Amino acid sequence: MFNNKKVNIFLIIVGIIIFIFLPRFVSGYWVRVITTIFMYAVISQGINLMSGYMGYLPFGNAMFFGVGAYITAIGMGKGLSFLAVLPLAALTAILVSILFGLPVLRLRGHYFAIATIGMSGALLSVVQNATEITGGAMGTTLPIIDKSPEVTYNYFYLAMLALMVITTLTIYLIIKSKFGFGIRSIKANEEAANSMGINTTYHKVIAWAISALFTSIAGALYAYWMSFIGPEEVFDVMIAVNTIVIMLIGGAGSILGPIIGAFVISLLSEVVWSTFLEYHLAVLGITIIIIVFFVPKGITGAIADFVKKRELRLRKKVSV
Amino acid sequence: MSLQMLINAILLGGLYALMGIGFSLQWGISGIINLSYGAMVILGSYISLEFFNLFHLDPFISMIMSGAILFVIGAAIYRTLLQPLIKGGIVFTLILTFALRLVIENIILKVWSADYRTIRVTYAGSNFQFGDAYIPLIKFLAFIVAGILIYLTYLFMMKTKTGKGIQAVALDKEGAQAVGIDVEKMYLINFALGTALAGLTGSLWASIYSFSPHLLGSIVGKVFIIAILGGLGNIWGAAAGGLLLGIAETTGAVFFGSEWQEALGMVIMVSVLVWRPYGLMGKKFFG
Repeated sequence: MFNNKKVNIFLIIVGIIIFIFLPRFVSGYWVRVITTIFMYAVISQGINLMSGYMGYLPFGNAMFFGVGAYITAIGMGKGLSFLAVLPLAALTAILVSILFGLPVLRLRGHYFAIATIGMSGALLSVVQNATEITGGAMGTTLPIIDKSPEVTYNYFYLAMLALMVITTLTIYLIIKSKFGFGIRSIKANEEAANSMGINTTYHKVIAWAISALFTSIAGALYAYWMSFIGPEEVFDVMIAVNTIVIMLIGGAGSILGPIIGAFVISLLSEVVWSTFLEYHLAVLGITIIIIVFFVPKGITGAIADFVKKRELRLRKKVSV
Repeated sequence: MSLQMLINAILLGGLYALMGIGFSLQWGISGIINLSYGAMVILGSYISLEFFNLFHLDPFISMIMSGAILFVIGAAIYRTLLQPLIKGGIVFTLILTFALRLVIENIILKVWSADYRTIRVTYAGSNFQFGDAYIPLIKFLAFIVAGILIYLTYLFMMKTKTGKGIQAVALDKEGAQAVGIDVEKMYLINFALGTALAGLTGSLWASIYSFSPHLLGSIVGKVFIIAILGGLGNIWGAAAGGLLLGIAETTGAVFFGSEWQEALGMVIMVSVLVWRPYGLMGKKFFG
């Protein structure tokens, strides 16, 4: 069932339809939880493109989330509508990614990961200290939608779901394209890719810009949804760490990995929060350790292995 | 810049230097970016606090204990958790050490709570005059001890057989293996040495400043900067990086205001990474 393309597309469409109508059947609390899951899946998808497919770990990707959130907050504070601010937020994030990406994407492995953390930290400080524009460390408020909370939450639920579907579809199409082969060749061997005539710098910068685009839109939606944001919250390195864990658990370099991972990790931490209130950090840490140890390829990787083994067994039976 | 400021900067930088070396060794030689390093430093502080509360032991003495305890913890963590995963690459070790940080942080929060703690020794208030600057005795002592420890680490790396083995592994892993060096053991000792240095720094830190689990994140940020400034795995480089960070933070606080301190450090780090990826001290140290 995992190899038949038509069946897969059918299953995915059924899944999307179920999620569209889900808010009618679950409580408002779960609508919010699932909205967060969609958001994490989007951010994780951005990291998946960079790390899972291209081999560059963007540890500071939360900065695009923060940029998206803050441009939205500032623009809406000036009286613009959300839909007018959204392209601005995305454009700013893309500009930031290109500006930072050109020097920093020359760095490999560890160095790139650390440089992005540094840039994220520096941006956080700028936002904290530019009090006149951003409201400083105290945070800032956004206009509240003039509808009942239930309608508002459903609206953001659907918006986040749409963003997740669009992000996943876009990245899927990119990966299957010629450009995507370039990206994957960078992970396999950057020098070889370069000498084969692939413009690696161009590929890397564009890939990071795409990653920044979707992450910043998630940030913009988040800011409008929460209607209050603080710099520590939206530039938190934990956002990147969480989404890296999500990618690992779902399966790095697999298109559905981030979505599956987001559901598993978020539902798991729901359970952990409610049962081990005082030990939730330790339980979360130990869970991560166990998963990294025993499911290193992630859930999609484990499923693929399982399917492959079963097919091998079947083939043996047939040949006997 | 006044003399007093320079002295403050250097005294702070000495502690940073010691703190950065352990992290730099772990990253540069064992190839592990230890995100739980901050938690290990603070754990050292709490170990000293316990010895002070129980036996009224001076942090300058109990630092031996916290160094030893952290050495054992580091060795155990490396053997059981990190060694099997090191081939998985950077993503795995980063996530794993981050998970460790969560576990240690939770233990600290549970045992000692999130409050700021201090160790007040009897001579905490005394200071002496140097020119027209005042030097607090305890900071001066901590600076001297940090200097001695850095020198001992250097001697260990240069003079002992194990230290030379670690150097050899850092330079060329296959070559070292070919001449009969137990590579995994060298990585293990090096990693444990790094956590021991974290514990020692924690004890020294506890004798001067107050501490709490809130410091975890900013410590990791600082050791990143120090290690990168100095070049990975380079002892004197990290020492110079620590001094430099101390000076940059102290002067930066005067010129730009203390709220820009962390941003300044980050900007310095990213600039060094982009222009001199092997650190200010120059040469490429490991493969």
